[in-house]
Amino acid sequence: MEASYPMPSALPHTHTHRVHTQSQPASLSAWRMTVSSETLPSQLEDDEDRGRQHDHHDGQGHDHDHDHDHDHDHDHGHHYDHGHSHSHSNSHSHSRSQPRHHHDHDHSHNHVHSHDHAHSHSHSHSHSHSHSHSPHGHDHDHGHNHGHGHSHSHEASHGHSSERSLFTRTILPYTVGWPILYSILAEKDSRRIFYFMSLNFGFMIIQAFYGYVTDSLGLLSDSIHMFFDCVALLVGLLAAVLSKWPKSQRFPYGFGKVETLSGFANGILLMLLSVEIAFEAFERLWEGTQTKRLGELFVVSTLGLIVNLVGMMAFGHHHHGHDHGHSHGHSHGEKHDHGCGSHSGHDHNHNHGHGHGHGHDHDNENMRGIYLHILADTLGSVSVIVSTVLTSFWGWAGWDPLASCFIATLIFLSAQPLVFSSARRLLLTVPEGVEYNLRNILAGIGQQRGVVSYSTPKFWMDDYGSDRLLGIVHVTVARGAALEDTKDRVREYLLKEGIDAVIQVERDGDNGCWCARGRAMTNPPQTSKQF
Amino acid sequence: MAATEAESLHNGGQAAAAPNPFNFQTQVISTAPVKSQNVGQRRGHRYKHSSVSAQHQIFQEPPPRPPPVLPASLPTPTLKEAWRSLQRDQRMRLYWGLCHVAIAMYIFYRSGGSLAAMALSHLVFFDAGSAAVCVVVDVLGNFEVWRRSSIRHPFGLERAEILAGFAMSIFLLFGGFDLLSHNLKHILESVGDHEAGHEHGDHGHDDERVALGLVSAAAIASTLVSAYGLRNHARIAKVMRVSYLATLPSILSNPFHFFTLFFSALISLLPLLSISLYAWLDRLICAVISLAMFSLGMRVAVAQGLMLLMSYGGNRGDVGVTAVLREIESESGIARVDGAQFWQVHYGLCMANLKLIITNGYDELALVKLRNRISALIQNRLGEGYGNGGNVRWEVTMETTIDAGI
Repeated sequence: MEASYPMPSALPHTHTHRVHTQSQPASLSAWRMTVSSETLPSQLEDDEDRGRQHDHHDGQGHDHDHDHDHDHDHDHGHHYDHGHSHSHSNSHSHSRSQPRHHHDHDHSHNHVHSHDHAHSHSHSHSHSHSHSHSPHGHDHDHGHNHGHGHSHSHEASHGHSSERSLFTRTILPYTVGWPILYSILAEKDSRRIFYFMSLNFGFMIIQAFYGYVTDSLGLLSDSIHMFFDCVALLVGLLAAVLSKWPKSQRFPYGFGKVETLSGFANGILLMLLSVEIAFEAFERLWEGTQTKRLGELFVVSTLGLIVNLVGMMAFGHHHHGHDHGHSHGHSHGEKHDHGCGSHSGHDHNHNHGHGHGHGHDHDNENMRGIYLHILADTLGSVSVIVSTVLTSFWGWAGWDPLASCFIATLIFLSAQPLVFSSARRLLLTVPEGVEYNLRNILAGIGQQRGVVSYSTPKFWMDDYGSDRLLGIVHVTVARGAALEDTKDRVREYLLKEGIDAVIQVERDGDNGCWCARGRAMTNPPQTSKQF
Repeated sequence: MAATEAESLHNGGQAAAAPNPFNFQTQVISTAPVKSQNVGQRRGHRYKHSSVSAQHQIFQEPPPRPPPVLPASLPTPTLKEAWRSLQRDQRMRLYWGLCHVAIAMYIFYRSGGSLAAMALSHLVFFDAGSAAVCVVVDVLGNFEVWRRSSIRHPFGLERAEILAGFAMSIFLLFGGFDLLSHNLKHILESVGDHEAGHEHGDHGHDDERVALGLVSAAAIASTLVSAYGLRNHARIAKVMRVSYLATLPSILSNPFHFFTLFFSALISLLPLLSISLYAWLDRLICAVISLAMFSLGMRVAVAQGLMLLMSYGGNRGDVGVTAVLREIESESGIARVDGAQFWQVHYGLCMANLKLIITNGYDELALVKLRNRISALIQNRLGEGYGNGGNVRWEVTMETTIDAGI
């Protein structure tokens, strides 16, 4: 390690003080007793409790083979560095005090944003060390095999949810009695929607009341419009609350798609609205109806504009791309073969492979849909204001329909990308970057020992993990290989690649399953040449 | 600081790395044609099959891999390809779909004074829309990308039909709301100033009478043609299962057709009534239609939304699944069910992914039999009977683990 990674001494080595302390055999055995989870002959192993795979090779020397698979799910303030400077001080500090939960890594991320995000951080480190201890002094031969797979996905809750507003903090204690209200207010997205909906609703009632008192048709019809907005917001609110619900038998994959669905619905609604606006505009242009009561219209639309601008401010902040989708893939070193402890000498083989996939944005379609809706309303108010002003100056009745047509086109175009992106997710389409990896991963299934072939691989994105996949695959096992072992091998392999699959194993030659039909269908056209 | 650290990491990596496979030095590419005598010293790109490469083994064969089971992605047809793939009867259906849309437009524009006719036009629009979806689904069925799964689209594109249905249900909801608001505005107007309201209802009652007759006749005809010719709404209605209409004869048992036919028949009767009754009944029918649209849209949206959320809402839904799971658990040899996911992919396909823990000492042959038994059980219980026409296929995947505990 020291040889290959010339690290500045100023690096934050948190574990440096524990370095090289395992040369005392007494404490070593003591440590082994404390670990005692597996009875290994003479192995030191740094056993991360959450690590799923342990690879124990029998070795005479100290032969470590770590395979960490962390899956952190933080939800509190972090100081992370997205510049990725990992300093792995692999200096074997098998911390006697607390043998578990100990990594020799020092991820010092100093990206300055110290905000609060729902962080799903998944590392998977695998180290292999081999020590040979001589009576005095020691020399270490490290063979590292780091495989980091970071995937940060910051969603929505950027910075603000920890510091709730004063208003929220004051009313939050009172809502404990109503669990629904509390759960709405506790989450940032739903809270925003809720506040804006309340504002909208209150404004609607005031408007309707004044409209009724003053007998003003404009006010009344605008309050009807506001009511529809409230309904749309209510649907969004429902989606935001539902999305937090757990998986169940009825919904085996949880409610992660609810928000996408609501976003899709909102997008479609906007498209329909824009079509309707355009229709009505043409009708008005055709019939040449004069817009009446300009002053009243002006006041109403200005008030609407103010409300919507407030909404834009509340939701717009979210919209400006606060959804990062980092996924870095470092892979230092190829697999070292520590068959037995005789491995010595520096055999480092580093292989940096950074794969920054900022492509697939995992942002919240629900919020986007609501934002677009408010945007559309704002544009509508603006168009009414502008057209009333123009009409009062020039007196041509065509201004209003013209402005409406223009706005309708704008709304339609802005809703389009939302509809497409949410449709793609609802269709369970695998995004391009993931698809590329998936192809390689699938090819790897065939290389597992005992596997003859596989069929009907169906994989789709998990809504909870950032780049994780769920799915099924049917694996045909060679005669002579144990079904169970092969299944475990494939399962482990897929899990390592971030796929949680249901694997059905079948014996070669058994065509009883429905997947055999698919095989018969797909096999003939496989005569394609490689080149 | 972070930068230097990262850099050092890189440098460290490169120092020990295998020789870089890429050559980043700039190279001068001569524009002169390659002469045949200096074959051995050719610069620039080398081709795998050229004699130079063959001699020097520059290119290494990739490790042999079996051909992929699934294509990565299948080509999505363009409009032109779709048009070319049309068969004769499909072309006829396409023309009819366009006709249906045209009829809907006609009804919309002729509905002029009557709110009820306008409401009817919304219903016909919905019919026309789903007829168009039917046609498009039919045409896309010509292509592989629709049915066959690829890595890109694990279930083909068939789920798009659900998505389109969901969009149509949004249209229904929107239409219902829209009509309600129109109705409300009309009422407000007529309450607000009486002159305006009367002006609207009075002009040319004779003209309107003919128009309404025509409108309802067109609506009925188009609905019938679509119902028989395109099997419009057939699949959606199956998912929804409106029980109180199920006893009605063939077409009427479908709620969509039922509503359209019923309301157009009602509207054709409207002109026979006196003017004052007509005005009120007009509004009433409009309100009823909008409410019907709203409730229907709600049901469609829920039915399709469940599918889009990867849930199973079909045959008795959750209760059915629970019963089946209990039955599976009671099978001999099964210690417990570790995880079960039942969900509907699209109209014709459901998936059941089970993780079963098998008691120790179960041999392979018995396992195969068990698997077949469970598949049959799920298909029989949850798949629709074969009598009902298009039945739902269940694709069952079972991961069996031998119980290690006992």
